[in-house]
Amino acid sequence: MDFEPRYTPEQQEFRREVNAWLKDNVPAGIVHPADPAGLTWEQYQLRRDLGRKLGARGWLWPTAPVEYGGGGLDVDHAVVIEEEIDSHGLTLPPYYDSGGRLGGNSILVWGSEEQKRAFLPPIFTGQVRTWQLLSEPEAGSDLANVKTTAIRDGDEYVLNGQKIFVGSDHGCDYMWTITVTDPGAKRHENLGWFMVPSHLPGITIQPMDLLISGGESGAGSGVKQTVYFDDVRIPAFNLVGGENQGWKVATTHLELEHGTGGRIGRNWLVDRLFEHCRSTNRRGQPMTQDPDVRDRLVDVYVEAEIVRLLNLRNYWMRHSGANITYEGPQASYVRKTSGLRMAQAMLDILGPAGLTHDPELGAADGHMEAHSRAGIVAIHPGGTTDIQKVIMARRIGIGREVREKAGALS
Amino acid sequence: MDLALTPEQEMLKAAARRFVAQEYPKEALLQIASPDETTPLEPWGQLAATGWLGILIPLEYGGEGGSFTDAGVLFEELGRGPTPGPHIASAALSALAVLEGGTESQKRHWLPRIASGELRLVPAITESDYGWDEADVRAVATVADVAAVDSDGDGGGGLRVNGVKAYVFDGQSASHFLCAVRSGESNDVALTVIPADAPGVRARGLPGFAWNLSEVRFDNVAVDAGDVLGGGWAAWRRAVEKAIPVLCAFQVGGCQAVYELSVDYSRTRIQFGTPIGRFQRVQDQIISLVNHLDAARWTTYEALWKLDAGRDATASVRLAKAVASEGYYQACNYAHEVHAGVGSMTEYGLTLHTAASRTLYHYLGDPKQHKRELAAALGL
Repeated sequence: MDFEPRYTPEQQEFRREVNAWLKDNVPAGIVHPADPAGLTWEQYQLRRDLGRKLGARGWLWPTAPVEYGGGGLDVDHAVVIEEEIDSHGLTLPPYYDSGGRLGGNSILVWGSEEQKRAFLPPIFTGQVRTWQLLSEPEAGSDLANVKTTAIRDGDEYVLNGQKIFVGSDHGCDYMWTITVTDPGAKRHENLGWFMVPSHLPGITIQPMDLLISGGESGAGSGVKQTVYFDDVRIPAFNLVGGENQGWKVATTHLELEHGTGGRIGRNWLVDRLFEHCRSTNRRGQPMTQDPDVRDRLVDVYVEAEIVRLLNLRNYWMRHSGANITYEGPQASYVRKTSGLRMAQAMLDILGPAGLTHDPELGAADGHMEAHSRAGIVAIHPGGTTDIQKVIMARRIGIGREVREKAGALS
Repeated sequence: MDLALTPEQEMLKAAARRFVAQEYPKEALLQIASPDETTPLEPWGQLAATGWLGILIPLEYGGEGGSFTDAGVLFEELGRGPTPGPHIASAALSALAVLEGGTESQKRHWLPRIASGELRLVPAITESDYGWDEADVRAVATVADVAAVDSDGDGGGGLRVNGVKAYVFDGQSASHFLCAVRSGESNDVALTVIPADAPGVRARGLPGFAWNLSEVRFDNVAVDAGDVLGGGWAAWRRAVEKAIPVLCAFQVGGCQAVYELSVDYSRTRIQFGTPIGRFQRVQDQIISLVNHLDAARWTTYEALWKLDAGRDATASVRLAKAVASEGYYQACNYAHEVHAGVGSMTEYGLTLHTAASRTLYHYLGDPKQHKRELAAALGL
């Protein structure tokens, strides 16, 4: 066994190339506010500019096929790009866009050749940013229960309905969504999957008022929107996978979302908390001298280490082609629930200083306060903790033989 | 990065699994665990014949010269039984203590015998005020009349040992003890080898839920000075740090076994006309179990890797023992929730693990101790 990433000389050479390029092209002035709601339009544009430059080199979606605008690189090279951009405190892509990994994969699998040529290159080169529109008031964990309709009318479909927990901040170019196309048909056979240009008349976007909001770096931390469709007319060309085939198309990205993922890296929040307790005095001595504080800091550390190791295992499984079953939803479940336990440990350690981002009294520049909210919000994206357990149980084959395999991952 | 076992380790794993299934079937384990039995020598002889007791002992001292990860793979499979010792005590802890602290001649004398299984050397450290710190050692060794105790006649002199060791793991199956004693003169703590059948040594198994714990009394036992291990307490601490992840691997094997028992049971136990695993309440128990299993597994194997790679393993070792002890304890609880009444029937075999999980929770330090030491290792 070897728990440390190793690189070939060729990868190291590529790393130098990526590193030099990033040095020249990551714009100055990118900031990382504690509360992602503080991320401005100007900050978003800096990230989009970088995305287009990365896209032009094939580094925005490194493993996507070259013929559709991707980088066509293998995983060994993609890893290097991910690690180098991570060292700048950024993600790949450097803003919220689930179209490349999730919706784009559905189009690759189910789209016609014309659809692939129309929709994929703008995504993979960073020209457009897409949002996923899945949840509805009546369709959370039970996604197949969506009520939004898209009814055929000549060469168009007419959309009506409401989608919630959508996207991030600062708008998008395309929305990909699942709707009812045949209200009379059976469950799972009544749905259609669409690429919807976001500028069409009849689309209204309203921010949701949530416990934490803002951000552009991941599905869990974004501002979330409500999107209303009122008689929105979209070309029939934008239906992907065929009439009433939407559930099949969605299964591709749902599998990916419940998939393995995995990452290498530390939890910077733990580092910040440790640093805060080392450098802050309470009753005349550093907080780290207090035995109760020490005990709880170690609890936080242990939680974070378990999450790190499960992510590391998944990362290795993804890249080594190991047989993956329950590990993806397991890492998600443990991460989500440990986020809640860590928030309680922070509350024990910090007291109410962990509940405010007041510049004088708030702990660690407001990062602890932000986690105490974000940890709660993070329970639901990509499947609730209960849904993660349902998927784990299926893939372990509890009560039955294993029937369901995890989706193929690149 | 490569988290796979090597082909050789996969072979070792398969061979060890076959061995445990053949030599330690459930019926044999239940027989051994019954209160009237002492550990039979037959399966031990078979285990010794495999050469695995020398897995951590270098080739030059008659061992196999394996890595810590190799040992982890082996002991994980032994943990699936759970097979009774004194394999962890002798082949991991004592072997490492001799390697860390022994003089060259002590190594040549003891290590090949540990590897062959002839010497079942069991550490006797803790006492009635239970604890694993140096300060907890109170058994006293005093310099004795040289002529009376210089049993090998080399004129090196000897000691008299007096004290009572409590909660000695695998004490009943020891051929020799590696006993921590405090010098009556210097107050330093040292470890000395004492034959279990030496005059004045009496071991008795502790009744109840304890898994292979003993009390061992030393009444004015004569010890040759040549049997005092070099290196003192510091060498013992280094040995413990290296043996802990191997013990954790044993706990991981136990978690794996009760996980598989629980998944199988969820498929075959029919209530309300359906396998009980179809019920999400039951699924919750198994999912909690597998989360503990995987946390224990990966913290353990990372610690083993750090030892093999020569990294600073201190924090990882503390983490692994805290997580694996908690994990094995909780895994058994969840398995009992899945099995309910059946799990409490001795003949089913789950309680073998439950008993082991409780005793190993404390062995070489409980989660609370290791978390406190982890805080120190993290520089808090």
